[in-house]
Amino acid sequence: MKEGERERRRRFEELFGAYAADIVDYCGWRAGPASDPQDAVAEVFLTAWRRLDDVPRGDAARVWLYATARRVIANQRRSTRRRAALAERMALTAPPQGPPSDPEDSLVHEALRRLSPIDREVLLLSEWEGLSPVQIASVLRCPKVTARGRLHRARRRFRSAFEELTANEHGERRSRAIPAMSVTHADGGEP
Amino acid sequence: MSTSQSLDALRRANPRNKPGFDEAVDAAAAEVWARVEAAVAADEPHPRQFRPRRRIVGVSVAGVALATAAAVAVFLTVGSSGVTPGVENAAAAFKKAARLTAASAERSGSATVQMTHDGRLWAHKTVRWNGDDLEITDRGRWHSSGLPLLVVNGMMYGHDPDHEGWVEVGPVSSIDPGSGTTPTDILAAVREDTGGATLRRITRAMPAGGLTRTNQSDGSTVYRGTVPAGQIARETGFKEGRVIRVFPFGYVAHDAAANPRSLLDTAVKVGADGVIREIAVTWGTWAYTVTYSDLGSAPALVAPANAKSLREERTETNPTP
Repeated sequence: MKEGERERRRRFEELFGAYAADIVDYCGWRAGPASDPQDAVAEVFLTAWRRLDDVPRGDAARVWLYATARRVIANQRRSTRRRAALAERMALTAPPQGPPSDPEDSLVHEALRRLSPIDREVLLLSEWEGLSPVQIASVLRCPKVTARGRLHRARRRFRSAFEELTANEHGERRSRAIPAMSVTHADGGEP
Repeated sequence: MSTSQSLDALRRANPRNKPGFDEAVDAAAAEVWARVEAAVAADEPHPRQFRPRRRIVGVSVAGVALATAAAVAVFLTVGSSGVTPGVENAAAAFKKAARLTAASAERSGSATVQMTHDGRLWAHKTVRWNGDDLEITDRGRWHSSGLPLLVVNGMMYGHDPDHEGWVEVGPVSSIDPGSGTTPTDILAAVREDTGGATLRRITRAMPAGGLTRTNQSDGSTVYRGTVPAGQIARETGFKEGRVIRVFPFGYVAHDAAANPRSLLDTAVKVGADGVIREIAVTWGTWAYTVTYSDLGSAPALVAPANAKSLREERTETNPTP
């Protein structure tokens, strides 16, 4: 192996080791059922391998990878759209993950589902991927002030949706409990 | 409810915090490396010989483990390239060893697996294989009978400790899974390993740790490095709320080996003929070693003559009045 190739591999290994989990996470919730997250991750890093000289150093590499992942998934979806428009619609409205078993997670995912795709993406890039508004702007290729505004709105909308769902959940619990008490009274002959 | 409460709930729901995420990363890593290696091969004037993963599927249990060991060796080299002088040659030697070992292991061989803890024997198992036939002799701490289990032409033979001679237990496929791990389960688990999970884990990039090479007086070479435990011991499920990780050949990983991110000292011995002879993993007071022999030249396994059927044996033991 030549020195140049060895150095190239070393750098790629570092890049992959540092950011693989980030990109797997992002592709996992961003890809949707009409795309293949694993395929997307592979394509992102294959792109990085081929264009290693273009990949910025330091934390900027992470943003570069997210932006690449976004384009890869968009390409996947375009390809899918040609085959199945219905599947594409599902992808845009689907929750980021499969049905969660944890009750709180269920509420979170339902609240996310109620957001627009762009609100959802901005919010999760911030809260799940830990990107700053400036970094989000780079990924989305939009002005920083736009990213900040979107993030603010997305948080507010998520909170509103989550609160409403939580309140409904508590209300349903109460309404389930009250008839049960009534039945007990009736059966037991109590006043 | 405050915004921070709703965001806290959102953060708790992050898929990274959920079970199975590490495995998703491992699975994706396999695809990444496969494509990168394919791209490298396509760019080279003389394409490398890549071993299609599917070719390994369906080989015998031990053959699979051998392929795994070979892949560990390849991983060590690739993951540590540039660390020490002469690694370029080490990489070539490892790749060759991996090819030779896997090719030989597809036919036949023998592997002795040993695990020690605080210098005491914890587990010891010898597996011989020829094609799909298999013999497993367990002399470990928990299975001290030392009597082999044999599978020839799909029929399983064993021993009743109270009687001499072989017992024909029955076709492998008909043995009740509820009675424990059957040979079918073992074969399926290991084939599943080679079909994806293990090789994916092992080929995943892990640049930490240096690679050293030592030439032995017998012509063999020992390569040493560190490998994350998760690359070697795979997750097989939960027990009492804890993730169970298991080494090739079915031994549960303890202590640091149970933590997939722990770096375990690993030594791979390649014989003078370029075939992998041994893989040894150590952590704390534990040691796990697999030693290979007769690769490609192990004799055929023969069904025992005069084996009694299990029904016959039981009838003799408990005669009907």
